[in-house]
Amino acid sequence: MGEERRRSPPFRTSRWGSCSKRQTARTMLRFIFARLLQSLVALAIISVVVFALARATGDPLYLILPMSASQEDFDNARRYLGLDRPYVEQYLSFVGRAVTGDFGNSLRARRPVSDLIRERLPNSLKLAVFAMGVSLAMAFPLGVMAAVRKGTGLDRFAQVVSVLGQSLPTFWVAILLVEFVAGRLQWLPAGGIQGFTSYILPGFTLGWFVVAGLMRLLRSGMLEVLDSEYVKLARVKGVGEGRVIWLHALKNALIPVITFAGIYFAILVTTAIVVETVFAWPGLGRLAYEGISSRDFPVIQAVVLTTAAIVAVINLCVDCLYALIDPRIRYAR
Amino acid sequence: MKRASAMAQVFLLILVLLGAMLGLAPAGDAWAQPKTELTVALSSFATEVLDPPLGGHLVKYYLSMIFDYLVGTTPDGQPSREGGLATRWESSPDYKRWTFHLRKGVKFHNGDELTSEDVKFSIMRNIGKRSTTGYAGPLRTLIADIETPAPDRIVIVSKEPTLIFPTYLSRSLSTEGMIVPKKYVESVGDDAFARKPIGSGPYRFVEQVTGSHVKLAAVDNHWRIGTPKFKTMTFRLVPEETTRIALLRRGEVDVADVSRERVPELERESFPIHYRREESILTMWWILGPDGPVAPTKDKRVREALNLAIDRAEIAQSIFGGKAEPASVPLGLSWSFKDVGFKPTPEMVYPYDPARARKLLADAGVGSGFNLDIYAYQLPGLPEGKTLAEAVAGYWEKLGIKTRLIPVDYPAFRKAWVDRATPGAVGYFNIANRDWIGAYALLEKMAYTPAKGNATVNDPEIDAMIAQVMRQTDREKINTLVRGVYTRLRSEHYGVPVVYLHSPYATSKSLGKWNVGSVMYDLFFDVLASGK
Amino acid sequence: MPAEPGVLARPDREAVIPITVERRGLRLPLFSLAMIALFVVAALVAPLLSLPDPTAQSLRARYTPPAWLDGGSREHLLGTDRLGRDLLSRIVWGARVSLAAGVVTVLLASAFGAAVGLAAGYYGGRVDATLMRITDATLSFPVILLALILAVTVGPSFTNVVIAIAVILWARYARVIRGQVLTLMRLDFVAQARLAGAGAWRIITRHLLPNTLGTLLVLVTLQIGYVIIVEASLSFLGAGIPPPTPAWGSMIAEGRDVVTRAWWVSLFPGLAILLVVLAFNLLGDWLRDTFDPKLRQL
Repeated sequence: MGEERRRSPPFRTSRWGSCSKRQTARTMLRFIFARLLQSLVALAIISVVVFALARATGDPLYLILPMSASQEDFDNARRYLGLDRPYVEQYLSFVGRAVTGDFGNSLRARRPVSDLIRERLPNSLKLAVFAMGVSLAMAFPLGVMAAVRKGTGLDRFAQVVSVLGQSLPTFWVAILLVEFVAGRLQWLPAGGIQGFTSYILPGFTLGWFVVAGLMRLLRSGMLEVLDSEYVKLARVKGVGEGRVIWLHALKNALIPVITFAGIYFAILVTTAIVVETVFAWPGLGRLAYEGISSRDFPVIQAVVLTTAAIVAVINLCVDCLYALIDPRIRYAR
Repeated sequence: MKRASAMAQVFLLILVLLGAMLGLAPAGDAWAQPKTELTVALSSFATEVLDPPLGGHLVKYYLSMIFDYLVGTTPDGQPSREGGLATRWESSPDYKRWTFHLRKGVKFHNGDELTSEDVKFSIMRNIGKRSTTGYAGPLRTLIADIETPAPDRIVIVSKEPTLIFPTYLSRSLSTEGMIVPKKYVESVGDDAFARKPIGSGPYRFVEQVTGSHVKLAAVDNHWRIGTPKFKTMTFRLVPEETTRIALLRRGEVDVADVSRERVPELERESFPIHYRREESILTMWWILGPDGPVAPTKDKRVREALNLAIDRAEIAQSIFGGKAEPASVPLGLSWSFKDVGFKPTPEMVYPYDPARARKLLADAGVGSGFNLDIYAYQLPGLPEGKTLAEAVAGYWEKLGIKTRLIPVDYPAFRKAWVDRATPGAVGYFNIANRDWIGAYALLEKMAYTPAKGNATVNDPEIDAMIAQVMRQTDREKINTLVRGVYTRLRSEHYGVPVVYLHSPYATSKSLGKWNVGSVMYDLFFDVLASGK
Repeated sequence: MPAEPGVLARPDREAVIPITVERRGLRLPLFSLAMIALFVVAALVAPLLSLPDPTAQSLRARYTPPAWLDGGSREHLLGTDRLGRDLLSRIVWGARVSLAAGVVTVLLASAFGAAVGLAAGYYGGRVDATLMRITDATLSFPVILLALILAVTVGPSFTNVVIAIAVILWARYARVIRGQVLTLMRLDFVAQARLAGAGAWRIITRHLLPNTLGTLLVLVTLQIGYVIIVEASLSFLGAGIPPPTPAWGSMIAEGRDVVTRAWWVSLFPGLAILLVVLAFNLLGDWLRDTFDPKLRQL
């Protein structure tokens, strides 16, 4: 997919070349269409896999029905919930309704799963946005500092601080923060969503995990630019060091950061289950956990598909952004 | 210049991001918790469907605020004329016709008057096809008809003489006795009702976010409470204990269920701890095979040995932080002991005697040890589940038994239990304590061979005794039979009773008096709200 | 000579010659290597050390503090956990489990992923398209959810943790390796090899694979730490390596309710994870910077 080149910012190639606007638009559309098709295929594969996996987890009736339920009760419940139909039929009806956004009813909550997702997805998205913000806020100074002071103790320090976020189990960081910052010092809320301050602890816990990646990108991007002929020329011309760093170097280093921010955002949305559990955050991750615990097939299927769809959409946007920037991508297979 | 504008674009993006974060905050926060709001943090909601026939058999904390029961219960589990819709009840001499006299002037939250029609409708609905409550089965078998001779009187007609109706339809067990408005349910349908339930209880439903919270608002002057101390009640789902305690410390919640492990640190900070004393009994036992018990636990001596090998006092002291009492009768629900006149004798208490245990194993021919699988799982209300399994495995290993821990979650264990796929494996249940009728209901489920939920006791004598209780209406005879069942459960070592548990609930320092009671899955928040 | 940056191979040779390592900043990677070696050695010689049985429980000795505190004892240098098991012994034995989990998972994932990536890059066309769709699908499936589902279906175990993570992790390798292979395929030496009559197998193993080893090494090093962290998260959710096997992740998870009262139960295994994973990550960073700074996407 031309990936191996899309990660390197094209410093010197002209962005638009000599293509006419119409040609650009047409190739872009073709590109988007092709990628969309590929995403759909991936989603279809996932739908089959998750359908099989969900049913493999066991029988939700053991949780729904009391211990004293007779065989007849089981059969009745199975029929009532539509669990006695052949698998192929169940799958087809699942897919058929899924494309319209109807994921069936949660076996445990007896409510449409799409309602549950509609309740929870915004919470996950908002937390991911905040975590992304925290991440960027940490990665920027660290990355710039590391690049500008390359090789010194500060560079090392910045590296260690960011990598630290990936070297600690998330739940442990979360619990320590809750116990000490929220419980003992009482500086910040401990859980639930009750205002802006509720985002801080979970957002930090979630965001710290991806700081390392972003900081690395910034650092190496800036290093490349700072080493380049262009910047050397600017320096020779007498352009101030400040301008060199902030105007020229940073700007060019930002492109991969932005595109990777998209990918990391997808990761934040889909892997927040631990943070959601500790901070009692009613999000998608927690919904998935509850679904798996209660063998709630419709919920499991819906959450996995939603997650996959989010990842696909974000990847699509990121790819389009790259394709816009680097025309070579559009023509690659 | 193009570069500068790109730069500006990026900074704009970051500003937008930060702005979005600020814009995420709804106005105001809830740090200052006025005393008129009660917030409860719970480790699990178990079920989140707010419809009595669906899953009420697990958690009634908020359901008993929204709905009224036909028969009320005091916090220590006795039937009460003050707490339920029935001000009095009596049965015909043949115990086949039970008349309940209803309170007058009770209104549902939508203004409808509560009459016997609603009661009949609710009971039939709660035991109907859609129901998944724990005690609907026996009720279905027994109830022939429900008559409504007057708006304030109903008569339940039973196919056989029985004593169970008042208890089974009371607050002490499950939700079969919860009353819903017939007109409203019939007009909006079951699904819509579950989403916006309407009851006649002291608190009406405001909102629910599944996986997050349930919010209720007080009804102005309810016959159960009078003027409520709390204008709103919010139940928050907070799975992680450290977070629950942090919320309590910050004053964001007023009540939190805590594990026994963390009680000392809370006591040190002067948080009041309320205990549900002897709330449950923790018993372990062996899964039956298709034809009954399998070797080697088929041998009574092996079962006795497994019992003697455990140091219950140490388990109670260490794992349960002293908030537990050793138990000696499998399935022995201590509240029912008083009701039926059963008193565990000193001989019934299991000493910690590994030497004798080893001898018994040798006598049974398995002195060199055998393989034993132990399921290890957490139960709602029993965070120490896995620790217990490991500890008991440790004790049995000292006897030379080769134990193997099988980690599962509770649903997987339920399945293994019912499927009897691994006969001889050990599981455990944390059974809520209850009165003699409730105890009978349990014995009928778990010690009666024909019962599907039962997978451990296969004893014809016990079966005969339980079958007789079903049809018995003479209290003396019932008491004798139940005593017999308990005695035989103990003498045949049909299980490993471990401890009776006291469950701690930590509250804020300003909450005041609270008789939390010990009724199954009910914390009597209405009593708390009444200030009595 | 290609103008492509980041290609390790000298195009006129079959094998790869790694670029020379700059002398700058060798301290950090050496320190990391030393840290990793320390834990690996400890893990390997665990049976030889005279440590108490890591699964021996004694309820009476529950939550004994470390030896240097009040109530501690020489018998348990780092204290005991909720069942009275010696913490130091469990950490040393746990090193075997946690490190093994990380290494085995990553080896499985990288082997399979590299194979897929090589095949996709080399054959191109429909093979590439199919493999890449499967890779995309795998990449969007959340690891933790899959591990939870497996744990709930067949029960948590070491094997299931490894399988659950490896089954999703391979996709990452496949993607990256494929990208590299696409670059390599355009080089002269591959065309030359084809003209000389080399078959697919020979080209893949002799020309393509050696040139991707550097990338593989970087990825593998970085991912071992990631797997150890994921195992810890799985233990927290109840899907990790089950008791009584000592594993750092489950040790931290077990001690989370006594985080102030018996802080040592979580802290020491937490430090172990921190040191090992930090070491792997720093080492991996250094490897990446050395081999190819342009591999920033890893």
